[in-house]
Amino acid sequence: MSTVTQSSLHRDTKGSKIVRYSLIGLSLLFVFLMLILPLITVITEAFKQGFAVYSKAVADDYTIKAILLTLEASFFAVAINTVFGLCAAWSLTKFKFKGKKILATLIDLPVTVSPIIAGLIFLLTFGRQSPIFSLLQDADIKIVFAVPGIVLATIFVTFPFISRELIPVLESQGTDEEEAAALMGAKGFTIFRRITFPHIKWAFLYGVVLCAARAMGEFGAVSVISGHLRGKTNTLPLHVEILFNEFQYVPAFAVASILVMLAILILVARSVIEHKGRKK
Amino acid sequence: MYVELKHINKHFGNFKASDDVTVGIEKGKLIGLLGPSGSGKTTILRMIAGLEHPDSGEIIIDGKVINDVPASKRGIGFVFQSYALFRYMTVFDNIAFGLKIAKKPANEIKERVHELLELVGLSGLEKRYPSELSGGQRQRVAFARALAPNPQLLLLDEPFAAIDAKVRQELRSWLKGMIQKLGVTSIFVTHDQDEAIEVADEIIITNRGRIEQVGTPYEIYSNPKTAFTASFFGQPSIFKDYTKFRNFESIENIDNAVVRPEFVKVTKKTEVQKYSKSAEEGIVEEVNFRGFGIELRIRVNGVVLTARRSFDEPKVEVGEKVDVFLYQLFVTEGNEARLLKNQSLREPVVVI
Ligand SMILES: Nc1ncnc2c1ncn2[C@@H]1O[C@H](COP(=O)(O)OP(=O)(O)OP(=O)(O)O)[C@@H](O)[C@H]1O
Ligand SMILES: [Mg+2]
Repeated sequence: MSTVTQSSLHRDTKGSKIVRYSLIGLSLLFVFLMLILPLITVITEAFKQGFAVYSKAVADDYTIKAILLTLEASFFAVAINTVFGLCAAWSLTKFKFKGKKILATLIDLPVTVSPIIAGLIFLLTFGRQSPIFSLLQDADIKIVFAVPGIVLATIFVTFPFISRELIPVLESQGTDEEEAAALMGAKGFTIFRRITFPHIKWAFLYGVVLCAARAMGEFGAVSVISGHLRGKTNTLPLHVEILFNEFQYVPAFAVASILVMLAILILVARSVIEHKGRKK
Repeated sequence: MYVELKHINKHFGNFKASDDVTVGIEKGKLIGLLGPSGSGKTTILRMIAGLEHPDSGEIIIDGKVINDVPASKRGIGFVFQSYALFRYMTVFDNIAFGLKIAKKPANEIKERVHELLELVGLSGLEKRYPSELSGGQRQRVAFARALAPNPQLLLLDEPFAAIDAKVRQELRSWLKGMIQKLGVTSIFVTHDQDEAIEVADEIIITNRGRIEQVGTPYEIYSNPKTAFTASFFGQPSIFKDYTKFRNFESIENIDNAVVRPEFVKVTKKTEVQKYSKSAEEGIVEEVNFRGFGIELRIRVNGVVLTARRSFDEPKVEVGEKVDVFLYQLFVTEGNEARLLKNQSLREPVVVI
């Protein structure tokens, strides 16, 4: 009886061969047009005038500075969001407190707010119009149109990624194992290291990878707050835009190809982590 | 008393999970904490362990008030309802965890773990992960892990709930034997009355956050002090007006009468009835086969009573008129319960 219902269910839900092949074909076509073709274009455009021109564009001083700045901003974003993400996910799943719902909602804010707006918020908070601007100036701290601003904007845009990966895993684990460990005399950090972390390890790494990927590609928020000072506050995506606007197509694509390669690297890391995580 | 709870109150928000809980437990006893779902059993256990804190009242273990001692320092073994085995550790590491935290030397740990594995009958499985064990095996690991640091008090939250009926039966007697052998004071939670009666030296009955009654299984079963306890065991028939049954002392202001199946004697019209004078006539409404015998539902004096007959007695049919005699019943007033015996039992039986 169960085999009968199962096979008819199979037919009902999975559809006939025609439906199947046209759906698969449509998806592949879409992926090809929207993802593969642009990628190929980026790479071919980048190498259009030969490898020499490509490597010159990549080895350009401003490009190197942009790469370093992008890595720096991503590093800080990942580091700070790791700490924040762990704390937030932990408190949301393990404690009961007032305002828990509000915190849970606020964490997701950066995903729903347009990055441009995020950039503007920082501009207004720390810029010339802001009441704290004079305080910052007295303390000789530059945020707007400077590296700290870029780091801040990147952190803001990427901050839900790690906690969002951790919360479902921590929730499904419950608190029993930790309580059992505590009853046997284990202290907070031992409990985290021995009981909780093995459990969230893969979700955590996955969150880190997503966070890094988003941080490297961030354009909108950073664009508003950076001021586009070449060699100073230009990240890779901003650099690509500047080159493109100056009609330097080959260098623009060359720099873009670096971002593409970083993205592919991250995709590979992602699937390795996913694969390992699933095996556990 | 080894463990004492004095006037413990505990709220979750507006909900009162423990209401003036006062109870004492002697050293070396195996105590069953029995009550319906949501009656506050787990809450009591967790407060003793230090996983929850009472709003007021004192928890005393071995003469010391331990309200402010953190869970990690109480030295209590706890077996969780879900076992809560560390799923990323092997059986060996699970059992060794508490000993490692206590910084015991490695060879001592190894020796102790193997001793416990032997005790719970799991030698050879130390390299397995919890996911590679059966329910009963997991339960044994949880038990061994709780015992490893030699606790003076062992708390078990529904230790058999997640195990199927047949294995549960085995594990019950196994656990009872094990705890008696080790002599460790233990409290186990259950909402299964048979389990409590079978395993516990003493039963604590909980209801709506309160303690209803404490006593040996026999005392609690045969002499319930509260209306709740009286109606909790067996499959009682509960009805308002018992005075329709003859030969019972009549008392004012009674709320309910509680009749358990074993209080009811059913005889066919063709059988000899010892108390025929005081028996009432009833009509059989249902005849159900049960493992232990036949279970009957009989309408008599406007109420439906559950009664039993064994297989070797003559068969009873649905719709048959039978004689029904009540040996005794509990009557309740408020939350008080008392036993009333059929007065004809006291009259000398005339033998013809
Ligand atoms: N952490 C909590 N927050 C809010 N309410 C709780 C909490 N823990 C328990 N309660 C409530 O307290 C009451 C008693 O719970 P408890 O877990 O002690 O019941 P129990 O007797 O163990 O029930 P069961 O047999 O179902 O396990 C329940 O109504 C429950 O909803
Ligand atoms: Mg419970």
